[in-house]
Amino acid sequence: MYRYDEFDHALVRERVEEFSDQVARRASGALTEDEFKPLRLMNGVYLQLHAYMLRVAVPYGTMSSRQMRKLGHIARTYDKGYGHFTTRTNIQYNWPALTDLPAILRDLAEVEMHAIQTSGNCIRNTTTDVFAGAADDEIEDPRPWCEIIRQWSTIHPEFSFLPRKFKIAVVGAEKDRAAIRTHDVGLQIVRAADGGTAFRVFVGGGQGRLPHIAQEIAAAVPAADLLAYLTAILRAWNLLGRRDNIHKARIKILVASIGIDAFREEVDRHYATLRREDLKIPADELVRIQAYFAPPPFEDLPKASAPFDRALLADPDFARFARNNVRRHRQAGYASVVISLKPIGGVPGDITADQMDVAADLAERYSFDEIRAAYEQNLVLPHVKLDDVPALWRALHEAGLATANADLVTDVIACPGLDYCSLANARSIPVAQALSTRLADLDYQEKLGPVRINMSGCINACGHHHVGHIGVLGVDRKGEEYYQITVGGSPDEQAALGDIVGKSLPSEEVAPAIQRTLDRYLEIRTDGERFIDTVRRVGPDPFRDAIYETLDAANA
Amino acid sequence: MKIVTANRLSDGRVIYAGVDNQPVDSIEQASVLDDTAAEIVLAEVAGRPDVFVNPYLFEVSDRTPSGRDRLKERIRSAGPTVGNSLLWEKA
Ligand code: HEM
Ligand code: SF4
Repeated sequence: MYRYDEFDHALVRERVEEFSDQVARRASGALTEDEFKPLRLMNGVYLQLHAYMLRVAVPYGTMSSRQMRKLGHIARTYDKGYGHFTTRTNIQYNWPALTDLPAILRDLAEVEMHAIQTSGNCIRNTTTDVFAGAADDEIEDPRPWCEIIRQWSTIHPEFSFLPRKFKIAVVGAEKDRAAIRTHDVGLQIVRAADGGTAFRVFVGGGQGRLPHIAQEIAAAVPAADLLAYLTAILRAWNLLGRRDNIHKARIKILVASIGIDAFREEVDRHYATLRREDLKIPADELVRIQAYFAPPPFEDLPKASAPFDRALLADPDFARFARNNVRRHRQAGYASVVISLKPIGGVPGDITADQMDVAADLAERYSFDEIRAAYEQNLVLPHVKLDDVPALWRALHEAGLATANADLVTDVIACPGLDYCSLANARSIPVAQALSTRLADLDYQEKLGPVRINMSGCINACGHHHVGHIGVLGVDRKGEEYYQITVGGSPDEQAALGDIVGKSLPSEEVAPAIQRTLDRYLEIRTDGERFIDTVRRVGPDPFRDAIYETLDAANA
Repeated sequence: MKIVTANRLSDGRVIYAGVDNQPVDSIEQASVLDDTAAEIVLAEVAGRPDVFVNPYLFEVSDRTPSGRDRLKERIRSAGPTVGNSLLWEKA
């Protein structure tokens, strides 16, 4: 894992001191809320419905056990005993007091964590494949590149007052497990013709009010020129992007309005000069950073594991967990294990302080001290010996963390919605809970196979509803909560925005309508077809019919 | 009728203007005001930014939020409707 150097330590320490002073001046009344707001937003602090909210960065979703324990400590000491993992692979605390923030940030700094650039119009935390460094289809671990982007973008003067926030995601495989095409810039590691590392670059993706799937702007930017190319993109946008209208300020609007070809010309113009400057990534610096992400000392193991196979036969619940939550690993005899934060009827992404401790202990014991946050609001232990998976599963079970539903219908992404968020139109968590409870039967869920259901409480789309196979968006109709359903969205390498099927539904109708959609899929699917394949083959119409079939015209 | 609400500076918690415009935690203790009185109280608490952050008015009937934002105000007064993971931990 990456460890802070002296510059990182100094930077975070200085920021903690600076913000502590700002908090003190705010608490004494010397700063007004209007003066304080931009300062707190530079430090991940929001004011939500019930309290302040603190968003802590988890760079590229990677944490050590020590960091996870500290996150648990913060939840227990300064919050109500739980935290919420987000689709940006950050963690949010819902209840910290203003006056506790300096102490929290000091605690975080002890374990090389902070809340810098988790809000505001800057380059946000770079996200990546939760299976980075573990997946068997990976060309190269994307995390060193995420770390290079982090170092380059942290408090970068040219990019501290961008027209709007800017989000970058990186994957190291053809398969996109980080939804890179929904980001301002998506990077996919590819092999260049000369065998070197290069980046396929997508630009102009984004969700929110005006969603766009990113378009390809470059097929293979040489790795050493990555920062020059990113700088060129940002500079082009910084100069041409709109600042007059907050909804039109994202790069997606610029790319859509001038077209990808014109935007590419702009970028290439800047790139031509920038690549001659000192933005080249020095080879020795790359080696230095890559060393932090070197594979852990794996044992030489056979492919198959007798304890694992015995447990599969002995315990059907374990077998189910193995089918749904255990992923193939590049190293023989190892696997990655998904810890679902979607217990049936639970709050998607929430985790208690005690559970954080358990996850930290298990990562220490079974996964080389490493734990990951997935954008689907789950955790992953990336490097577990197959021999250890049964024991790990039992320990997770004890802690209420063994729900065997990863990527199934109850693995719902949901934003905090109107239960916490001051921007919300409607609640999202209770709708996710109702759906989860209704579809709880794991036999049924497995029969359905992978289905991504995503919910947001307003058009900002924090819950990725546009790219859910089934998306649910909360809307406000004269003070009542209604929900608009989309079908056919997809976050991956075949990224697509879902089609709105029709009029919005009242909340109690959402779960039954989704179940009818899923049942229709079971009727019309062909062999081996996943839900999204069927939608792509037949279009949204059969599902629209299923959604509206029992609704009487009066309330539709 | 109307109630004046805000978030408390020190911890961000929901507060209301109560007797003598003092901050109170519970909507049950909030002063229920007619339009004219509500504007006066709002102006008064806006002058105390050391306690009241972003004060505003909302409509109530019988002390129950009733305007367009009634659901939001009910959730603000009673807390999240969904429980949290502590409830599922040992489920
Ligand atoms: C509760 C406090 C939150 C506030 C005030 C907030 C605010 C916003 C806003 C205003 C946008 C739209 C940005 C735009 O269109 O330019 C947005 C987008 C987004 N937020 Fe949040 N959010 C919150 C929580 C969350 C949470 C909990 C998550 C993860 C579960 C999240 C993840 C995202 C994502 C993925 C986007 C879409 C990015 C894009 O526009 O491409 N946010 N948020
Ligand atoms: S989608 Fe809307 S309701 Fe949900 S967290 Fe984002 S801003 Fe809040």
